[in-house]
Amino acid sequence: MRDRSLQASYELKERTRQRVWRKVILPWLFVAPLLLLNVVVILGPSAGSAYYAFTKWSGIGPAQWVGLANFRRLAGDRVYHMAFVNNVKWTLIFLTVPVTMGLLGSALLAPIKKGQMFFRIAYFVPYVIASVVNTQIWRNILHPTRGIGVMLAERGLKFMDVTFLGSRGTVLYTIAFVDMWHWWGFLVVLYLAAMQAINPQLYEAARIEGATRGQEFRYVTLPGILPTLVFTVLMTIIWSFLVFDYIYLLTQGGPAHASEVLSTELFKSAFFRFEVGYAAAIGVSMSFICTLVVAGFVILRRRGWEI
Amino acid sequence: MDPKRMSRRHFVASCAAMATGLVAAACAPKVVEKIVKETVEVEKIIKEVVKETIIVEGTPQIVEKEVTRVVKEVVEVLAKPEKAVISFWVEAPSTERREVINEVYRDTFNAAHPNIELELTFTEDVDRVLRTAMQAGAGPDIVTTPGAGFILEYIIAGHVAPLDELAEHYGWRDRLLPWAYESGVVGGHLYSLPLTYESMVVFYNKTLFEAKGWGIPTNREELDDLIRACVADDINPFEYTNSGWKPATEHLIGMFYDHYAGADNVYKALIGEKKWTDDEFVEAMALMNDWFQKGYYSGSIDKYHALTGDDTWSAVANGQGAMQMSGTWCFQSIGPFFEESGQEWDWFPMPSLRKGVKPVYALATGQTESINAKSMHQLEAGAALDWLYNNKRRALQISSSFNFGEWMVPLNYTADDFPVGTDPRVVRFFVDFAKVTGRGDYGYTTWTFWPAKTEVFLWEEYDMVLAGEMTPAEYQARAQELFDEEVAEGKVPPVPERF
Repeated sequence: MRDRSLQASYELKERTRQRVWRKVILPWLFVAPLLLLNVVVILGPSAGSAYYAFTKWSGIGPAQWVGLANFRRLAGDRVYHMAFVNNVKWTLIFLTVPVTMGLLGSALLAPIKKGQMFFRIAYFVPYVIASVVNTQIWRNILHPTRGIGVMLAERGLKFMDVTFLGSRGTVLYTIAFVDMWHWWGFLVVLYLAAMQAINPQLYEAARIEGATRGQEFRYVTLPGILPTLVFTVLMTIIWSFLVFDYIYLLTQGGPAHASEVLSTELFKSAFFRFEVGYAAAIGVSMSFICTLVVAGFVILRRRGWEI
Repeated sequence: MDPKRMSRRHFVASCAAMATGLVAAACAPKVVEKIVKETVEVEKIIKEVVKETIIVEGTPQIVEKEVTRVVKEVVEVLAKPEKAVISFWVEAPSTERREVINEVYRDTFNAAHPNIELELTFTEDVDRVLRTAMQAGAGPDIVTTPGAGFILEYIIAGHVAPLDELAEHYGWRDRLLPWAYESGVVGGHLYSLPLTYESMVVFYNKTLFEAKGWGIPTNREELDDLIRACVADDINPFEYTNSGWKPATEHLIGMFYDHYAGADNVYKALIGEKKWTDDEFVEAMALMNDWFQKGYYSGSIDKYHALTGDDTWSAVANGQGAMQMSGTWCFQSIGPFFEESGQEWDWFPMPSLRKGVKPVYALATGQTESINAKSMHQLEAGAALDWLYNNKRRALQISSSFNFGEWMVPLNYTADDFPVGTDPRVVRFFVDFAKVTGRGDYGYTTWTFWPAKTEVFLWEEYDMVLAGEMTPAEYQARAQELFDEEVAEGKVPPVPERF
């Protein structure tokens, strides 16, 4: 009797041990490498940046705690304001033009059965070309003395004689155009994939009900790709506030801050002016904006929006 | 179980082992220097007292006598020290130039110093890589920075060692150009030596000038006449751009400060005896703005912001532009544009832009070299540094691979020092520079003598003056505010006194 009780107790212990191993320890072991990587590569530097945002630090030597001084300076910094406005403009451009073009392109491409792969690849190729190469190509196309503008002006379109990357009025839109040139094809491929996942019977039903192509798009396609659409909108907003490469490669934020964005101003503060503490404050403000956007989406989802 | 498949348990165990290994490796102490002992047989002279029987007056007597003899002994000694390895990170030039630097500098040094091994690492963007390494308490033995403003930050943080004893030992003060030596002295101690020196001149298309019958301007009136002649012939007087390198605008700002406001006034402002808001400086910036607004630079302000450096050199080489105010680093790149166009280039010193202001050559250093305060081999690093400066012929041999546009260490050269076949236009500059600056006629460049924040403001915000968003007076007033802040923080690089 006592032996049986001991046996049962041993089995219970063993089962508990195995359950703890399987349910608690093992999952942690699996995520541990990634977690460690995240702590070292993401969480650590993020915490460091957040700390340095409250310091005066040249990037060399010890940092001096200054409290909210960097943030107070941000509030009155004319260049920061110009950069912020440019980021907002950039976001609005990217939320409208490439998204609309992507939707249009994918909607037109979706019914095509023959040669669709060719178009998919053709749209996608600019996306996989390095930004350094893309910017060099467009720098030549938009060249002020031998580029497309001069050629068109010589053929009668005088208004095209514009120094696209040198004029304050055109520079931000020109860079956005170059960036969109490589970006919108990616959206086409993304939306196309989402459209192809929609049940074809829904289209058949719509056609039987006499729906036009426009109505099919409005009542079948759009609701079908809504999660993808919302995801791209969310990412577009976040990426628009982090944009750096195309602007830095083409104009470094000039002329006269006309294409300055928060990330280029951050870079100059850290690496030219030795104001790493102030640069960290700019970085924190950028993260704050992105967090607000993500929080907005989370709230909408909780309120029942199907996004 | 399939022997080729790994069980979950094995997989987890392997992951844990790998993670443990990584953590252990990361936590392992850094081996700084290996102490090696070895046993050797040595001969030792020992003294011994021996008893000897001698006969004294027929009677044998035992006496003690000291004798020396050689014995062999096995002892443990420190092995001969390993070679001191000196690391030196250098901004990466082209492959051919790297080969010259390796061959003429590294290999000759290593051959002459059997106990030291100099290791050169060519790195893109060396400044940013170095900043991270230095902040982490590491970094190479020899520390390269892009200029005087940058090295000041390292000095303030205590990352670089004073070089006074090395300077005395090697006689650097006597060997280097005095102003170049002084540019590395902070708080009475030498911390850095310039790797290269340069100045600003006016390059021009000689073929075009000869064809048009234009002479070299020597004063403001002649320069104005020349500009008018260029405009009349639909030729851009100057070509320049800041599209590829935004700080390029400061090259012009320095020229206008030195040649309109005057180098004496610039010096006074740098040491706080004058204000940047004084009329001379405001007028200098207004004149520069006026020339831009008239399209004297690259045809228009928009084009100044959009053309590439190659475009502007091509324009001068093809006669679409007449001149380019630029730095002597262009000696290394100007040639191919003129070879392609079949025309000839030359240079002249910038004339004075205002009566009573002396024409000068602006002083400028490129990269600086220092010794890491944490280096285990500071003496050896000093020897490696000295190897750059202790032989004019070797220095010029390296610099000749850059056509004397980079790695031009600031020594007192004469025409005879330059290798046979050196471009006479280049020799003419360095000889004239030594002569003119030697009599005290020198000006200042913003990237060598201005503190970082004010310097960045100057080149970045001048765009706002060009755009009409800021007046020259407002621009100078803001520059003064920033300058005052940096003076208070002790961030102004050393300025050579005038004599």
